[in-house]
Amino acid sequence: MSILHGLVILSLVIFIAAIVARAVRIMRTPIHLRWELYPVPHEKGRAAHGGSMLEETDWWTKSKDKDHLGELGVMIPEILLLKGVWEHNRKLWFSSWGMHFGLYLLIGHLALVTLLGILGVAGLDLSTGFLSILVSLLKALAIVGGALGLLGSVILFVMRLSDNGMKRFASPSHFVNLIHLGAIYLTTLLWALLDPQYALHSVGLLAGLVSFGEIPALPVVGYVNIAVVLLFFVYLPFTHMTHFFTKYFTYHEVRWEDEPNMPGGPLEGKIAAAVSQPVTWAAPHIGADGKKNWVDLVSGTGKVDDEKKEA
Amino acid sequence: MGVVYCSCGPANVKEMSEPSEQLAHVELKDLPPLPPPYDNIEELPGFKKLKDETREEYEASLDDTLAASLKKPKSEEEEKEMVERFLSGLHKLFTKENNWTFLQPLLLSMEHCAKCQTCVEDCPIYEESGHNELYRPTYRSEILRRLYFKYVKNGNKWFNTFQQGGIELNWTLISRLFELSYRCTLCRRCAQSCPIGVDNGLITHELRKLFSQELGWSPEELHGKGTIQQMEVGSSTGMNKMVVMDNIEFIDDDMTDRVGFDVKTPWDVEGADVLLLENAGEFLAWPENHGCSSILLDAAGISWTMSSELAGYDGVNYGLFYDDVQLARVATRHFEIAKKLGVKKIVMGECGHETKALGVIADRVGIGNIPRESILTLMRDIVFSGKIKFNPEKNDFPVTLHDPCNIVRNLGIVQPQRDILNYLAPRFREMTPHGVRNYCCGGGSGFAIMSKNNFLDWRNHISSRRKFRQILEAFQDEDMSPETKKYVCAPCSNCKGSIRDMLDFYGAKEKSGIYYGGLVELIVNAMEDAREPILDWDMM
Ligand code: SF4
Ligand code: SF4
Ligand code: SF4
Repeated sequence: MSILHGLVILSLVIFIAAIVARAVRIMRTPIHLRWELYPVPHEKGRAAHGGSMLEETDWWTKSKDKDHLGELGVMIPEILLLKGVWEHNRKLWFSSWGMHFGLYLLIGHLALVTLLGILGVAGLDLSTGFLSILVSLLKALAIVGGALGLLGSVILFVMRLSDNGMKRFASPSHFVNLIHLGAIYLTTLLWALLDPQYALHSVGLLAGLVSFGEIPALPVVGYVNIAVVLLFFVYLPFTHMTHFFTKYFTYHEVRWEDEPNMPGGPLEGKIAAAVSQPVTWAAPHIGADGKKNWVDLVSGTGKVDDEKKEA
Repeated sequence: MGVVYCSCGPANVKEMSEPSEQLAHVELKDLPPLPPPYDNIEELPGFKKLKDETREEYEASLDDTLAASLKKPKSEEEEKEMVERFLSGLHKLFTKENNWTFLQPLLLSMEHCAKCQTCVEDCPIYEESGHNELYRPTYRSEILRRLYFKYVKNGNKWFNTFQQGGIELNWTLISRLFELSYRCTLCRRCAQSCPIGVDNGLITHELRKLFSQELGWSPEELHGKGTIQQMEVGSSTGMNKMVVMDNIEFIDDDMTDRVGFDVKTPWDVEGADVLLLENAGEFLAWPENHGCSSILLDAAGISWTMSSELAGYDGVNYGLFYDDVQLARVATRHFEIAKKLGVKKIVMGECGHETKALGVIADRVGIGNIPRESILTLMRDIVFSGKIKFNPEKNDFPVTLHDPCNIVRNLGIVQPQRDILNYLAPRFREMTPHGVRNYCCGGGSGFAIMSKNNFLDWRNHISSRRKFRQILEAFQDEDMSPETKKYVCAPCSNCKGSIRDMLDFYGAKEKSGIYYGGLVELIVNAMEDAREPILDWDMM
């Protein structure tokens, strides 16, 4: 095992551990009050006009079937095409889409390299047949992904500096992040363009990594590329860029979370746990003493008496 | 300290903490012009300046108006103490014990904003203020976000500042931030357009909660005269049981005279199917709304009742706008009353925030819920039940529909009101945009009942401007003279209040013949058997 093996493992462990920790932290927050925002795409037959089951009289007696395909119909164009940005912020769309789609292509490229690396280790011949087509696809993916991502990152960088709104809220990290992403795209692009053995090298690299075997000597740009990619894995989980997966929660756990609290239903237990917690808000009208919980505070007339005391 | 009197907003987030006479200012000439005949600034009502005495007494260094009206502290010690208390509230806002109600959505909105500004053009306040930077939806969110990363979020302080940018916490900042949390109607239009799912409306809501629940700061209209009065006296209008019953009796008699058949509101009927819970403001400002609901429920043969219990006759819940504990208290009271009466369901009247608060938000404040539904869906079923004969020709005038944010964007009740209007209002036309992409009337989040100082001027010039523009545009294919009466149907009490104020402010009735009212009035106006039309243009 080489230093490179060690670094790859370390960065992947940090990446996965930090992502899991963030996801667990979000999932462990208590049940929250309903705060859905229409249109909710799983509303069968009503999503097109933004309707909900509340459009029915006695809705609690009716079927609450969810249209999960409808959710995919929103998520897929949103993720692949950044539909929201297209509709609400057209001037940002190309650069943001380029930056994101370039990344998707490189992720696809990485998956393909990994697959080919494993197949190579398994002894399959990558130089003939269908597998050879996949090998040649690698270079195309790296070039298109790298170029698109680089273009997007450069334009975004300029916009962060010049756009009236974006520059007002730009922090140092925005520029560093874009430089970092730009470096990933640029080094991928240069490596693919300048190295005649690009496909062999990258597949060999992955094969060496997954088999803990020997890694072929790479051009300098290849090493730089590995360094910036690994650094990104370590850095990303601590930034707002985790929205790539927390978006799942903002959509499914907030925007589209419309589960009614039915008597005897599954939510009651979670609510009971939430309302039994002690409250320490200090405003006098709350009447909290650190021992009283939500149920104590909302029932009865404690609040009114407190108001009188204040007056 | 210099006087800032350009028509502009703050240059950056840090200015929020820097003392100055006024952080932002709006010149009427910089607002996007309205269509004629409302395009001449000289002929429009002005924007009154805050009085010097008011500026002396209250913290008024944010912009041209005061909504929350915070008194100036007496000493620097008091300022420091408030800052400490704010900080303690900031921490509580991110604990599961104190804020289980919204912790998850808040954390998600705090930590994942890309600061891409995709949401901003969808905010009617920002747009119609001539893009004043103070009202950018992301501005107040950014302040809370930076405070969170600096004072609450674990991790290396340097790294957090590198990620989010810095901010200085001081009295200037918190006193302005309190006011600024009352420059957003919580309409959540911006949240719809955020690709990541960050919700600037929610962030405003959480800020208001922090101020109310920790420091006891909130506008008098929402708290003292709002939730407190509702629970002490029975209604935020100040009406006690006797007064409300008297009023309703008067409304019943008046309606009986007008429609020619008996109208009588049933009180405290145990075991009725439906408890009708309306915004009590209707009984004073728009009595026909209750009268018509009463007529419709009777005509459909529904077993219903009202409650004379404390707060049982007022469905408002201003807690929704500023304080989760108050929200839960009012909602719990409503649930208890319904349970005691043994009704099968609560039907919530034409009030957007009531329907959102009781129908959805309060769904999880307690155990053993009573079913609730909006009167809009019930009315649709009644209208199409065949039990009542209608003559849509009675509504032969141009009608447009205002979609209350709380009804559409927050509850997904979009179609029932349209089904009714398509059937009973032959000259119905939509606003653009409408449905879940509607614009707020400008009175959301309590603004409709807030008019102290010159806040009404701010509201009418800025937060209601987009709605006024939409209303004018909806009728553009009609004769815009006052002779052709036009009706804005607003199935929400708060929205009606705000539309009333804007139409008065711009003189739209006199200049363009634009009137407004609820939905049930249009339904009853079209009833074949009613002796007189319910809509009396001279009285509107
Ligand atoms: S709230 Fe959403 S749309 Fe607005 S700046 Fe943040 S990420 Fe962008
Ligand atoms: S919630 Fe509405 S008023 Fe508030 S910032 Fe968003 S769009 Fe503007
Ligand atoms: S007042 Fe009406 S339009 Fe405005 S936020 Fe409330 S429901 Fe929406």
